[in-house]
Formats: sequence, C-alpha cells, structure tokens
Amino acid sequence: MIVQFCEKYMVMIVTAAAGTLGYCLLINVKRNKIVYGCLGGVVSTFLYCACVEAGLTPLLQNLIPAAVVTLYAEVLARVIKAPATVFLIPSIIPLVPGGRLYYTMRAIVDGDADSAKIYAMETIVIALGIAVGIVVISLVFYHISHKNIQYKVRFEPLRKNWERGED
Amino acid sequence: MDEKKACEAPARVMECALDMGETMLRCGAEILRVEDTVTRICTAYGGGIVDVFTILSLIILSWKADDGKNYTLARRINPYPTDLKKLEELNALSRYICEKKPPCDEIEQQICAIMAPAKKRIYKSKITGYVLLASAFTLFFGGSLRDSLAAGVVAVLMYLWDYLFSAHGRNRVVYSLAISIVAGILCILSVFVGIGQHIDMVMIGSIMLLIPGISLMNSLRDMMCGDIITGILRLAEALMMAVAIAAGFGIAIMMLGGLL
Repeated sequence: MIVQFCEKYMVMIVTAAAGTLGYCLLINVKRNKIVYGCLGGVVSTFLYCACVEAGLTPLLQNLIPAAVVTLYAEVLARVIKAPATVFLIPSIIPLVPGGRLYYTMRAIVDGDADSAKIYAMETIVIALGIAVGIVVISLVFYHISHKNIQYKVRFEPLRKNWERGED
Repeated sequence: MDEKKACEAPARVMECALDMGETMLRCGAEILRVEDTVTRICTAYGGGIVDVFTILSLIILSWKADDGKNYTLARRINPYPTDLKKLEELNALSRYICEKKPPCDEIEQQICAIMAPAKKRIYKSKITGYVLLASAFTLFFGGSLRDSLAAGVVAVLMYLWDYLFSAHGRNRVVYSLAISIVAGILCILSVFVGIGQHIDMVMIGSIMLLIPGISLMNSLRDMMCGDIITGILRLAEALMMAVAIAAGFGIAIMMLGGLL
C-alpha cells in the first residue's frame, strides 16, 4: 500500500519540492530559510495526495493541507523569529489551482460553457478550501499572540479629573 | 534612557517610524505588522498617544507626543516587488530599535543599507527560480520531460522580458496582461517548434510563474486581523490579476491557436 502510494505520487512530491525551491528564489527568501519552505511544500503535497487517496471532497483535499501547513508556519515563526509569511507562502504554492485556472480559460476560449462552469466552480472551491484552512489556524494564533495587546485609553485622565471634581 | 528620549525630536522619530512602515509595507508585510511596528517605535521614543492608519497605498500617523503637541505625517506608498529577505531584515531591525533605542541617524542608515537599490542586472538565482518553478510544476501537473524543458525555456525568456520591460510601480494588472500574452505566444511557439509536446502542460507551468499568490495570502491575513479595507483592495488586485492572466493566455491562443 505504501509502496503503491509512493510510486503513484513520488513525482508530484519531488517536483513540488523543486517548484517550492524555485518560488523561494523568486520572492527572495533568505538562503538559510529556504529549507523550511521546501519542507512545507513537501508536507502540503504529501497531505494533499493522502487526502486524494482517502477519497475526500475537493474542499477538504485542500483545506486540511492548508491548515496543517499554516500550523507549521506559525509554530516555526515563533521558534525561528521570522514573519510567518516567509514559511507560509512557499508551502501553499503546490496547492494553488493553476491547472484549473488554465482549463477554465481554455474552455471559455473554446466556447464550451458547460466545462467552463465546472472548472470555474472547482477553481473557486479549491481557493476557498485553502483560504478557510489558513484563516482558521491563523485566527487561533492571532488571538493567542495578541491577547495582551493594550491600547492607551485616551479619555482615562479626563474622566479621573471629572470624578475628582464631582467629589 | 531619558536623555536619549529627550534628544530626539518627535518629528524625526515619526519620520523614522514611517520609513520603517513604508519599507515593510512595500516588501510585503501585513497591515497589522506595519501598524504595530510604527506604534512600537513611536512609543519607544516617548509616551503619548499614537494613531496609525494604513491602507495599501497610504500610511497616516498622528502622534500626541510628550510635549503636548499633535504631529501628523502621511505618506503615499508606491508598489514594489515583494522581497521577503528585506522584510525579515526590517523585522529584525524593528526588534533592535525597540530594544536598544538607537539614535535616529543610525536607524536611517540601516534602513538605507537594507533598501539600497541593487544594480539592475540579471540575477542567477532569479533565473534558477523561474526555471525550477516552471519546469517542476509542468511535471507536477502531469507533463512529460520534454514539456518541462519547453517550460524552462519559456521561463528564461519570460525572465528576460521581465528584466527588460518590468513595470513595477505602474499598473500591475495591465503589466500581467501584457506578460501573459507574451508567455502564451512563447508557449505556443515552443510547441510549434517541437520542444514541447502538450501545449496545456507548458502553459500551466508558465501560469504558475505569474499567479499572484502573495497578494491573495496577504489579503486573507489582513481580513482576518480586521483590516477589511486593505484585505478587499488586495483581493481585488489579486482577482483582477488572475483574470488578466487568463485573458492574456486566452488572447495568445486566439491569435496563434491555428498553428497547432
């Protein structure tokens, strides 16, 4: 079973690693952090393949890897002290529906309205899955790390004076 | 500590804070990070109340400093290619500033050192990135080895086009329309000449080069943090770029589709 899985998806995982490396170079990630981006790309592709194999819906196929990778990036950002974006963007790239976008465009150019609708629908569902996956996990981290944020209260001294005056 | 605070004029500190905010926003930081940095730098050099408002193309900073006066500065932000290395260095610099509170001259020197305009030349690492990305994703989506070779050739030519005609600072949507028409024509020609086998795979590989992933990601993160305005601006930009890319490749197919 594992051997079959490897045979079937090995090309995808290896090329995802190479593609992620390329993207890291493109957006100029620091050299010593490229490894983490590639690792994230491999993790997201592996999970995507596993979800496809498990027969989940397209929404979940993209939601689960995106969520896991976001968790990975946010934890890593706190360990290594760099913005989470540095790890998150390269890791998400293999999930981006570039193929679906192309097929949508192709169907529109060819005047094939039915398949255009299907492909456009799939593109939107995949994008939505990735978005929800990222947002859910980041929201948790956002609330943890900004729990103690304090805004200066502008009207506090004024009110004190007023209270004192009343006394 | 107090002597240091006293010797920096509020206007000077605000300029430094805005420099930091502007450079971070240009390099691809989220709004929350920018506002947080600006507020922290201002409060590090003196008390008072700091108000920052940031959208994609503007930062407004208003500060009621310790001397009781109100200072306001605004700055227009021009678009700039994302550069996460610079963003990381700026992030480290802002940590350093809040901890050590160096004089403003030193901050400006460091910002200039980070943002110094590199000479316009052909970067080997960028070419490698373009080629790796296009070739790898051609294989990823099920192309053959010859397809990935064709995608690599197209990627090199696209980098050269980007190098010669890059229009950062102008309209990015129109620019991505133009570059996708060129890329589409190159893809069709590469298959016509006989390097690639499947036109769709070569095109998918080159589409992955142009996809506005960072805008999309930042728009999500902004909206999540409550900066709905910037989130919508970035989302609109990303969607328009996606439509422009699709339209560009569509135009290329309509122009030269008869060759295949």
